[in-house]
Amino acid sequence: MIRIVHAELQRLLRKRTIVIAAAASVAFAVVATLAVFAAAKESGPPAARGGATLADLAAAGGGTEAFAVGASFIGFLVFVTFIALIATEFSGGTFRALLLRDPHRLRLIVGKLVGALTVAAGALVVAELLSFALSLAIAPSKGIDTGAWFSIAGLGHAFGNLGTAFAGVVGWAVFGTTLAVIFRSAPIALAVGFAWAGPFENIIVDSWDTGYRVFPGQVLAAIIQGGTPEISLGRAVVTGVVYVGIAAAATTTLLTRRDVTS
Amino acid sequence: MTANTSAVSVHGLTKRYGDRTVVDGFDLELPQGVVAGFVGPNGAGKTTTMAMLLGLVRPSAGVGDVLGDDITRPAAYLPRVGAMIESPAFYPALSGRENLRMFATIGRHPAERIPALLDTVGLGDRGDDRYRTYSLGMKQRLGIAAALLGDPALLILDEPANGLDPQGVHEMRGLIGSLARRGRTVLVSSHDLSELEQICDWLVLIEAGRSVYQGPAADFIQSSGDGLGAVPEHGHDLDALVAVLVSDGHRVDVVDGRALVRDDDLAGRDLAASVNRAAHRAGIVLVELSPIRTSLEDRYLALVQGADHGGDQ
Repeated sequence: MIRIVHAELQRLLRKRTIVIAAAASVAFAVVATLAVFAAAKESGPPAARGGATLADLAAAGGGTEAFAVGASFIGFLVFVTFIALIATEFSGGTFRALLLRDPHRLRLIVGKLVGALTVAAGALVVAELLSFALSLAIAPSKGIDTGAWFSIAGLGHAFGNLGTAFAGVVGWAVFGTTLAVIFRSAPIALAVGFAWAGPFENIIVDSWDTGYRVFPGQVLAAIIQGGTPEISLGRAVVTGVVYVGIAAAATTTLLTRRDVTS
Repeated sequence: MTANTSAVSVHGLTKRYGDRTVVDGFDLELPQGVVAGFVGPNGAGKTTTMAMLLGLVRPSAGVGDVLGDDITRPAAYLPRVGAMIESPAFYPALSGRENLRMFATIGRHPAERIPALLDTVGLGDRGDDRYRTYSLGMKQRLGIAAALLGDPALLILDEPANGLDPQGVHEMRGLIGSLARRGRTVLVSSHDLSELEQICDWLVLIEAGRSVYQGPAADFIQSSGDGLGAVPEHGHDLDALVAVLVSDGHRVDVVDGRALVRDDDLAGRDLAASVNRAAHRAGIVLVELSPIRTSLEDRYLALVQGADHGGDQ
């Protein structure tokens, strides 16, 4: 397993990939932080779903609040990225070629998943640090006292936000991998994934609140946000684990039973 | 290496997709150290058979072993097998060298061999270029290099010369020959029968998923016997020439205005003398009397078409 993760990191940690990941992290941190601070109101409900008030930003978790709010948009990006990464392995024949070096199919796919998630984790850490630094720079202009950010509670919020964001990313990555394994074609898997996680879920939840608690995409989004008014973090984690377990079981079954013909 | 033990020994290998049987009770005994040509028409089941040997496709039925390990446990023998099946597959954004390094990491192969392997396949000066910039022939060469990463005892190559220029084909022939000299067993499929004839000392013929012939290549090619091509001075004498040759007990086919003559008892100079005497007796002057060597392609076509066409086509 370790050598497969190592090989995947060899592939991913190249100058071009690092530059793209770093640029994405910077863009995410800048946009999320500026947007959250710009939209923050003195009091009352947040300006937008998942937004923050000035009081929220002055609290212990204020330093990473912008990261936490912005992270809810990362999931879909991770989803389509993993679909493309894994499906291309099948359609391009590289999965077949790698199986000739290591015929343990499950080990191979898990190793690739772990390798890519390691890179994703690194990008999340960079994004959170950048967002914190930007928040620190912007806070005085909004009259926000940042003293609480450096408390133990603030550190706990930072790790908590990073943890929930990464948990959601893992879920989206597993869902993306499952679709890629099912369809073995990037365009088809992307079309199905895009349609489901994009319009389908979001249109239905507009008229059916229960969808926030049962649809996989909504559940993972709730995990990344640390819970929502519709579903608590604890319930979202339990539901998400069930969904990820089902997806992993489907992936395992297909991988081990199906012939590798392309 | 001797031919006492088999590198590959499978029996009743079968692959069905629904009602369609792609490989049908295929038996294969591949002695160690041979270069075996795997020949068959498109759709005969060559690639599926290779994929089953490599653990990519699960057989519907059949038993056997590869390099002494059971075919159901490819993990046990794949580290000693190098393979390129269907077409070479690498990461387009990585260089040839980076691709090989990644494959070496996954296969626990020593990365120190990579520069030498790139030189071996003629990519020494293009190893740092991205794979996406490679020509088809260069991709094939990199595929061969990847197959050789583990210094394998058995090499399974599916159409390795596909896309190679004549120089590349020549080098591929030399490479396979050198592997054979080092005792490696090679199973290579190709549609280029003249190429296979030059590099293979063993033949495996498959048609409609079934084994048609397995054994020494020379035995297969020579099983119809070589013959002579006789051309009369005047075209209208051809029928008379055939008649007199047949009456003398020779086997004769007519192809492209010449009589192709074979005889179970006579060959070479004796057969030439016999043909010449028969023509002289019939008052026919021959303007050409030349030896016809049966090629692998001739024999293969005769076999799969169900009729032996004899000599040159």
